[in-house]
Amino acid sequence: MKTRKVYPFSAIVGQEQMKLALILNAINPKIGGVLIRGEKGTAKSTAVRALAALLPEIPVAHGCPYSCDPLDRNRLCDFCRKNAWQRVDHRKIRVVDFPLNATEDRISGGIDFQMAVKTGRPQFQPGLLAKAHRGFLYVDEINLLDDHLVDIILDAAACGENIVEREGISFCHPARFILVGTMNPEEGELRPQLLDRFGLCLEVAAAHDVEERALLMECREAFDSDPAGFAAELQEAEAEIAASIERARKILPAVEVQASMRHFISQLCTESNVAGHRADLVIEQAAIALAAWAGRKIVATEDVKAAAKLALLHRSRHVAPPQPPPPEPDKSSENENKGDEQQSTKDPPAEGANHDQKRGKPSSHAEGASSEQSGENDAASEDNPSQAPVERSVQEKIFEIGETFRMRRITQHKDRLLRRGSGRRSRTRTSQKQGRYVRSTMDMQRNDLALDATLRAAAPYQKRRRKDSHLAVVIRPRDFREKVREKRIGNFFLFIVDASGSMGARGRMRATKGAIMSLLLDAYQKRDRVALVCFRGRDATLMVPPTSSIDLAGKLLKDLPVGGRTPLTAGLLKGSEVLRNCFLKDPSAQPIVLVLTDGRGNVAINEASSPIREALLAAGRMAGDQRSKFIVVDTEQNGLVRFGLSAQIAAALHAQYFKIDNLKSENLLHIARSAN
Amino acid sequence: MIKHQRIYPFVAIVGQDKMKLALILNVINPTLSGVLIRGEKGTAKSTAVRALADILPEIEVVADCPFQLPPGGDAEVCEVCSMPMCRNGGGDQSQRVVKRNVRVVELPVGSTEDRIVGTLDLERALKEGEKHIEPGILAAAHQGIMYIDEVNLLEDHLVDVLLDSAAMGVNTVEREGISFTHPARFTLVGTMNPEEGELRPQLLDRFGLCVQIEGIRDIDARVAVMERRTAFDENPEAFCRQWQEVSAELVRQMTKAADLFPSVHVERSRLRDIAALCLEVGVDGHRGDIIVLKTAKTLAAYLGRTEVTQEDIELAAELALPHRVRRQPLQEIGLDMQSIKAKRA
Repeated sequence: MKTRKVYPFSAIVGQEQMKLALILNAINPKIGGVLIRGEKGTAKSTAVRALAALLPEIPVAHGCPYSCDPLDRNRLCDFCRKNAWQRVDHRKIRVVDFPLNATEDRISGGIDFQMAVKTGRPQFQPGLLAKAHRGFLYVDEINLLDDHLVDIILDAAACGENIVEREGISFCHPARFILVGTMNPEEGELRPQLLDRFGLCLEVAAAHDVEERALLMECREAFDSDPAGFAAELQEAEAEIAASIERARKILPAVEVQASMRHFISQLCTESNVAGHRADLVIEQAAIALAAWAGRKIVATEDVKAAAKLALLHRSRHVAPPQPPPPEPDKSSENENKGDEQQSTKDPPAEGANHDQKRGKPSSHAEGASSEQSGENDAASEDNPSQAPVERSVQEKIFEIGETFRMRRITQHKDRLLRRGSGRRSRTRTSQKQGRYVRSTMDMQRNDLALDATLRAAAPYQKRRRKDSHLAVVIRPRDFREKVREKRIGNFFLFIVDASGSMGARGRMRATKGAIMSLLLDAYQKRDRVALVCFRGRDATLMVPPTSSIDLAGKLLKDLPVGGRTPLTAGLLKGSEVLRNCFLKDPSAQPIVLVLTDGRGNVAINEASSPIREALLAAGRMAGDQRSKFIVVDTEQNGLVRFGLSAQIAAALHAQYFKIDNLKSENLLHIARSAN
Repeated sequence: MIKHQRIYPFVAIVGQDKMKLALILNVINPTLSGVLIRGEKGTAKSTAVRALADILPEIEVVADCPFQLPPGGDAEVCEVCSMPMCRNGGGDQSQRVVKRNVRVVELPVGSTEDRIVGTLDLERALKEGEKHIEPGILAAAHQGIMYIDEVNLLEDHLVDVLLDSAAMGVNTVEREGISFTHPARFTLVGTMNPEEGELRPQLLDRFGLCVQIEGIRDIDARVAVMERRTAFDENPEAFCRQWQEVSAELVRQMTKAADLFPSVHVERSRLRDIAALCLEVGVDGHRGDIIVLKTAKTLAAYLGRTEVTQEDIELAAELALPHRVRRQPLQEIGLDMQSIKAKRA
């Protein structure tokens, strides 16, 4: 692929921060990588690839599979230690691509199968981490990577070496690399743990200037029509940057940080409330690199400031939310409700699910507080609608979708059944050739051979078999072992939503819709299937039949009307009907059922029985099937008078019981959007 | 022989001009990176893509190369390739070069990951202790058209893998003890019925152009559809012969356009127009700008001009922008430029 020209680094229009962050990492590897977050089509990948061409050469021990530094005698790998003196090669710093389809054995390395069969000796075959040693490891769309792979990378990045203890090999080699990741936050967030491993983090966005965009198109067009010519034109500029990087790398060891600067750094870190000390160290290293890049030997204040901007974006935590406003007097609470709704029409419905927690909290506190006073009045109005204020007596109402927030993790339990499918929610054994290899089995079903186990199984018979073969290891079909794999898949989410008149009170439906929307956004990122049953009036209807199109569910949710009485039993029965169909199609399914209600069922199927008792009975029957997991979300707000009926339903269903606020992720760390 | 089964001629498709135009532009200029055809059932979506095979240009490849490599290229993948005659033959001299039409490779919705990216030839590995790879669909699609019917029903992990290589033009395989890289530059053509669910924005963005099609409302045209289809079903040979001349004419026009394309010129002020347009409708990133420009240039070449006009840009924007307008994951996709502009105004 040498023939293919890469777009030159110096021809990237704009995105100065990203270019700077990459260059700083090239100058000082101690910074610890960079995470580039941003929308599609903002030259993220282009920049990383282009950087590879600019990187300086490093001395490498000849023939070493791990690219050891021959000058660094203390950290040689086993291979170099044995060959006491060897030739030194020079090669460019590498940028190693990490494809999404990579399997564990290729990342950390595994047994060399060819060697094993031909010579009968187990030999370690270095993986991607070995290849990336002393270079860059580039992971595109890092948030789409499977969790167990992320863990391996994280582990190696943290300790600077790759320790392999798997498939019958025990091996360790140095793996110090600079991790560069790109991601689009819309497709899901990274775990904070991994986020913190990246030294720097920045947001990229498209340019908003017409001139700049036009220039960008011109450059791209010129490159596409004549890549070689375009590159030749910019050769000087490229060489200039490369030379500056080289120069900065030379100055780097001599750059000094004064004590006052260190104080300033720690002050900055305390101010933004970061966890741990990595931020301080990263800022210091980045500031040193910045000084070296500018050709100075002393770190200046502006270096620290610029470094802090890159290092703190993903680390600063929100300060505790401001105190909720004092509860308002009784009379104004009605108006407040109205105001709430008006305000919400201005808000875009699905605005960035992850940033709203802070805003969401105070307002819900306020609502809770105000309903404390009017709770009694509220409950009374339901049984006698004619007394209710005009606003509530309307038969059918459509409420806006309330605030969305980030969900806490909801998963199904693990069992031994094999499942197909993709997604990222619950762990399961999988029948596909992907996922983490947990152990091997003799049960051959899927043609997914476990090489190491097969070799081990064949080993005892080799003496006898070797007579009639030129291979060192002879394998017969009965030695075959297969991999048992584990991965995450999406689940089926069934929402059973109370849309009765009582839900219209006190902005409950707004909050409920907000909660469902948050769940849907979460389901989108985890790639689940959803269905929505809603009950009101006399009956329950299946609003959204089981679908993987979360969009469709979101659209229908928006237009979900509220009004009428509460046929809770009908809702539950409809739900179990959907579940039954789901199990008919896929007996190994693990649905998660969310019942969102205030529990005040007042319509029974059998006229003679009590609605509540009937609902509890139905709930008890539904709980009989162990395959489904139930979650009851209580929409009743804290107040003086609470019926606590949802809690009873939850108990009958053997369900987890949440208030809407409890659904929020407890995670403190959120990415603050930068100003651009 | 399946090969000789007649395909309904591309030029005989009634109406659906936008879809046909988008496909033609992509054939002329493969760097437009594909078409997504959104529409209801029975609107000649699949027929059109399959019929493309008829009008595709010829390319040169090494005979029997599983990676569809052009002659002369010495790719690293050749070392692990399981085609012995080309590998052991000793360099470029022995490579037989053939000319063949650009291929349309279909990606079945139910494919597995290892079939798409390629995998180890296990049988051989166990019998002979040698590692050879079995190339996947991505290898077959290099220099061709990758066609995914019902692309919105594709499993998510496959989408991720596909995105990865579509973005880079290279397929890197690191699995099961094998490691290889081969070029995989293909034009992605997908069809979908939006009623069945939307695509993720990221995959959507990979499709250069997007057309929305619907059934024809005109009675005469509908009659023509029926007439032609019956004629084709009754006697495919004769029907194809009847359209041969028109087909050939289209191919001539396309070849001319491909030749003309490098000399198409765009004024700087037009670039500014494009940028302003993209900013106005709120497009994510810069890919939209670049695709509009390329489409406009290709359009000009197709119409035999060397100067891009305002109309070219407008039509190009109509094809390239609606699916790129910034939206949250659960929002609807705008259908045409007018409605999008109206919404933002």
